[in-house]
Amino acid sequence: MSDRKLLKIKDTKIWILAFIMIGVIFVLALVLSGKFLTLRNFQSMAYQFPEFGLLALAMTIAMITGGIDLSVIATANLTGIIAAIIMTNYVNAENAGNPAALLFVVLAIIAALVTAAACGLLNGVLISLVGVPPILATLGTMIFYSGIGMAVTKGIGVVGFPESFLEIGAGKLSLFPIPLLIFIGCALVISFILNKTSFGLKLCLVGANPTASLFSGINNKVVIINTYMITGLLAGISSIIMISRFNSAKVGYGDTYLLQAILVAVLGGIDPYGGYGKVSGVVMGIIILQVLQNAFTLFGFTPYAKGLIWGLMLILVMIINFVTSRYQERSKILRMKDQGVIE
Amino acid sequence: MLDKLLKKHETYLFLIIIAYAVVVTSVNRSFMTFENLFDILRSGAGMGILAMGVLVALLSGGIDVSFTAVAISGGYIAVRVIMATGVDNLFAAFAISCSIGIVLGLINGLIISYFKLPTLIATLGTLNVFHGALTTFVGTESVNARQMPSCFVNFGSAKIITLVSEQGSKYGLSVFVIPLVAVIVLTWFILRFTMLGRGIYALGSNRESAKRAGFNITALQLFVYSYIGFLAGVMGVVFVSEVRWVNPVTLIGTELTVIAAVVIGGTKLTGGSGTILGTLLGVAIVTILYNTLVFLGLSAAWNNFFVGIIIIISIGITSYRNRIKNRKSLSFKT
Repeated sequence: MSDRKLLKIKDTKIWILAFIMIGVIFVLALVLSGKFLTLRNFQSMAYQFPEFGLLALAMTIAMITGGIDLSVIATANLTGIIAAIIMTNYVNAENAGNPAALLFVVLAIIAALVTAAACGLLNGVLISLVGVPPILATLGTMIFYSGIGMAVTKGIGVVGFPESFLEIGAGKLSLFPIPLLIFIGCALVISFILNKTSFGLKLCLVGANPTASLFSGINNKVVIINTYMITGLLAGISSIIMISRFNSAKVGYGDTYLLQAILVAVLGGIDPYGGYGKVSGVVMGIIILQVLQNAFTLFGFTPYAKGLIWGLMLILVMIINFVTSRYQERSKILRMKDQGVIE
Repeated sequence: MLDKLLKKHETYLFLIIIAYAVVVTSVNRSFMTFENLFDILRSGAGMGILAMGVLVALLSGGIDVSFTAVAISGGYIAVRVIMATGVDNLFAAFAISCSIGIVLGLINGLIISYFKLPTLIATLGTLNVFHGALTTFVGTESVNARQMPSCFVNFGSAKIITLVSEQGSKYGLSVFVIPLVAVIVLTWFILRFTMLGRGIYALGSNRESAKRAGFNITALQLFVYSYIGFLAGVMGVVFVSEVRWVNPVTLIGTELTVIAAVVIGGTKLTGGSGTILGTLLGVAIVTILYNTLVFLGLSAAWNNFFVGIIIIISIGITSYRNRIKNRKSLSFKT
């Protein structure tokens, strides 16, 4: 079987996903037509999903390298808290108008991104240089980062951001909310990196078989460190959107997003064992999830019922993946038998 | 003999505990009292029971994050059933909770062994499914100390030894150590003296070799996950009696702390390597840190910070030594 045919099989996953996405939106539009199909509803969804979408993208990249990043939420929390502290300490209601305030807002954002990259760097170093398995490394850093956040804020939220900062979370450019534009930009950049750069290819190779990539001359350590730094950066961008929307930074924001991020990555076709993944799949998974989330809220489900459904979906999707991959392997073997390649 | 001791991971954990105890006692003398010790034992008992289950899961090469949902399901349903039927017997409570635990654990085991799903993600899914099912179908009413059946309340306050402190208040070694010790002995026995235990170690070290050696992988995995479910059921009753206020939303969220404790104890995530003593020391470190940072004047807000540092340092050392060992034998797997 030629390589092109193998690629076609994996591409059909994306088409199936697109089909499911359109199907879900269609059914929900039918059932909930009044409340669902309004510009306001779509706009409110477009405000809500980018922060989660960026976290899901971060998780996707980590999973393509065969690892997982349990610390994305904690990283986002910590960077949000740091940005919030800088802003509330230097900018208050009186001087919010003058240009120095804008400088501090920019400074806070830069500080947040630097912290985020540093958090990712620690993850990458632990995983590649020290040799800790990704689950454990990110588990440890998750507890550590949330510990720092907790120790610094003592559990109290940091509130009161300047108007210029709140524009990020609440503003729009004609019809499109700013968070949505940020998300689209990041998704395009990540997709470009994964598909068109050598770094992206190396990422997939390291995920598929680290030993083989090591012996092919790829510097696994550099690839992994860069991967987790990108993951951290994405979490940092997500945190800026989050605290801008909530107008506060507190320990524990976004904790429920962890399972959903993994669900979206798996739904989007990422192989949890590493080596394969497409941004388009993940984006479609994010849209499906956000639409379902919106519908559940309109139906009035409790957060626990939603969690039940996400858990069921996760297991179901993985079972379907398992069954289809077995089916594909069997048909591949049968085809090879037909062609007389093996008997 | 000394250098053999120095090579063991458990020695370092023990030294950390001793060093910490020395530091804290020098700041605040009431750390080194029986009262404090019994208190630590009481709060650590639940985590210790769960940690034994996580140890077995990690040894088999998998991982289970759904045990807190199983524990609270078992405990909460036991409380509600006993309240509804009026059978005020502690053994009935354990029976109900443990059977629920075994059933839920079997579900985990079936999903993992039949569909060969990655265990972390599968159990992350079942965590949410069990928790969601509990809150949606059984309800979210909390049960406070007045409504709680007396068997739980008595279990929670019963003590084996009672002593009187200098101020005249009574304290004692809680009865919780009995299930803890029983679980430890049971786990030790299974792991050390039965073929089942050998099979678990084999499965964790090298699944393919274990299969060819004749072990029934499916049966082993089913046992492992139902065993965790059973232990979670035991812990559910202990938790309900300890806290004396039960609500389905508690306990969830602490699973990563338990896993962290087991991992601090030197258990390898890839499976096949790990000891009960190490796990107990890991649980001890986490419990002591959570309970006694207040003696140093640090509020509870600092707990995660220090536990996080200990985790990173501990697994950093373990993984680095493992990598050096692998490089020596030219294995580049990690």
